[in-house]
Amino acid sequence: MKSNDIFDGVTDIRDDIIDSAAAGDAKNAKKKRSKKLRWISAVAAALALVIVGGVMLNTGGALKVYAISEAEYPKMAKYPGNWYTDKQYDAWWASVRAQKRDLGDTSDLESFFAESARTFLSDADGDNIVYSPLNVYMALSMLAELTDGESRGQILTLLGCDGIESLRRRANDVWNCNYRDDGALSSIIASSLWLNENVSFKKDTMNTLASEYYASSYRGQMGSEQFDRALHEWLNKQTGNLLSEQAEQIEFDAETVLAIAATVYLRAKWGFEFDKENTSPQTFRGADGDLIVDFMHQRDDQGYYWGEKFAAVSQGFEEGGEMWFILPDEGVSPEELLRDAEASSFIFSPDRARTENSKYLYVNKSIPKFDVSSDLDLVDGLQNLGVVDVFDDTKSDFSPMTDDDIPISVTSVDHAARVVIDEEGCTAAAFTVMLTAGAPMPPDDEVDFVLDRPFLFCITGDSGLPLFVGIVNNPAAG
Amino acid sequence: MDDLDIVELYHRRDERAISESDRKYGAMCRSISERLLGVREDAEECVNDTWLAAWNSMPPERPRSLGAFLGRITRNLSVSRWRRDHAGKRYDGLDVMLSELEDCIPSPESVEYTIERRLLGELISEWLDGLDEQSRAQFVRRYWYGDTVKELAAAAGERANTCSQRLSRLRCGLREFLESKGAEL
Repeated sequence: MKSNDIFDGVTDIRDDIIDSAAAGDAKNAKKKRSKKLRWISAVAAALALVIVGGVMLNTGGALKVYAISEAEYPKMAKYPGNWYTDKQYDAWWASVRAQKRDLGDTSDLESFFAESARTFLSDADGDNIVYSPLNVYMALSMLAELTDGESRGQILTLLGCDGIESLRRRANDVWNCNYRDDGALSSIIASSLWLNENVSFKKDTMNTLASEYYASSYRGQMGSEQFDRALHEWLNKQTGNLLSEQAEQIEFDAETVLAIAATVYLRAKWGFEFDKENTSPQTFRGADGDLIVDFMHQRDDQGYYWGEKFAAVSQGFEEGGEMWFILPDEGVSPEELLRDAEASSFIFSPDRARTENSKYLYVNKSIPKFDVSSDLDLVDGLQNLGVVDVFDDTKSDFSPMTDDDIPISVTSVDHAARVVIDEEGCTAAAFTVMLTAGAPMPPDDEVDFVLDRPFLFCITGDSGLPLFVGIVNNPAAG
Repeated sequence: MDDLDIVELYHRRDERAISESDRKYGAMCRSISERLLGVREDAEECVNDTWLAAWNSMPPERPRSLGAFLGRITRNLSVSRWRRDHAGKRYDGLDVMLSELEDCIPSPESVEYTIERRLLGELISEWLDGLDEQSRAQFVRRYWYGDTVKELAAAAGERANTCSQRLSRLRCGLREFLESKGAEL
């Protein structure tokens, strides 16, 4: 026997003895954990769904906006920052953990996310386009609460739920497991109801929306400048002013009965930021020709993923969630990739990283900086997805919302979203020069991932569900 | 983050498993490796390799103690590097430790066979169970975590010489224990 054997034997002593000695050490150690704060630029989406009816106007009333209820969000312990004790860390982690929900089988969500993304992202036509599946999911869930009969049935079918109670539980779980507001990561799905003061609304339904969907509600005179301004201020506050231009364009007219405004806002720290010194101009082969844009570069050992028609890598946020960059193979468009079953499953499933087609290796990422936004009218798309009756006042059933005998329909569904990334902010990655169709296996140790042609991205929160999905055709477009 | 959550991240193939491991156990693993190898750059490589090895072993592994699991990987990687590079480099930390551990080697008359590594780990655990808390902690801190005698003495509020003598007695005690087990094996 040699001293090496004794060393190996000591290596293999029982875990509890090792832990016990570590705990003893901890008593003497001063708790200090250093962390740099690194932020990604904010990301936001907003949706305004306007329901209109033949309303009798009461023009004699004072022009006021009444806040009927303000949503109360869960209180989270503050992220402990650069230096902290175990107590602070444990309190923070407990509050993060309290938001977790077991979503179980997520095939209903994945199906809606994939089908709706294919519909709403199909018209990029060379432009950039951004869509928030969770934002639209929450707005449609609330619309289901306001409707009944076939109007509700069509929404339930699209969302993959067999009843309003199960949808309510589902939406509540989805909301909670995507909510984070601890000073390090802000991921907030906010909703609000804007009620016409001349319409009587059913209190029970409004209470349900407040308690289960965390929706605030406001009442005022539709068509008035004050009420429009109140909506704009609410949207700007919820989206960190990222969508102020789009918000300004939303106006109620006097016949608006109710509007649902839903937003998603994400602000997070990068786990590993890009070094600005490494950023350099490079050619991006855009949909409408070559462009010179700034590319960020980074080398990291991480997971590399691939499918029959794509390659993908992710860039994690330091306190949960990540941004995925999905590069279609040469000759495959992002839209075509969305229609591909394998790619679609990868993009929209929270279990995307469990694929066998993955490898842990060094990835040399080259990612263009971008600021992409889009403003979509979802009415036609929703009708194509089978939600039809709410748009027709001769067929719609809004009986859970009001007993007033007025024809009511949804007249517009505006969805605006914006994603900004740079060295300090969001990260992108993707493209592998070594991938060729039919031979997608990466090399053993290292791979280049160069996003120099149109690509897809997907931003997830802690739950892994897609908060934002988008196509970047032109990183230079503001 | 709880160890169970970190292990779950490995099983979900979520790369935050690495950052969370580094956050929680990175300092410990760096310390173990650096104390063994004495070269910061080499230790850093061993710790990075630790995360890769952990990623490749979970799943299927679900360690009961993540700290011990990761620390053990670091030790094994560090000593492998030492064995590989030993002809060309001298690592004071591990050389000194191995020199000390020679005291624990049973005499050939008592143990004339090669004990399986796993079994040796169990025997040493059994011997540690029989020690008082302070002696057990000092032995594990010195020979598992790689703390220096000076650090152990400072933590215990005693002179380095006193601590050194205690460790010497412990090593001899381990040798006697292994010899006493020789007949049973």
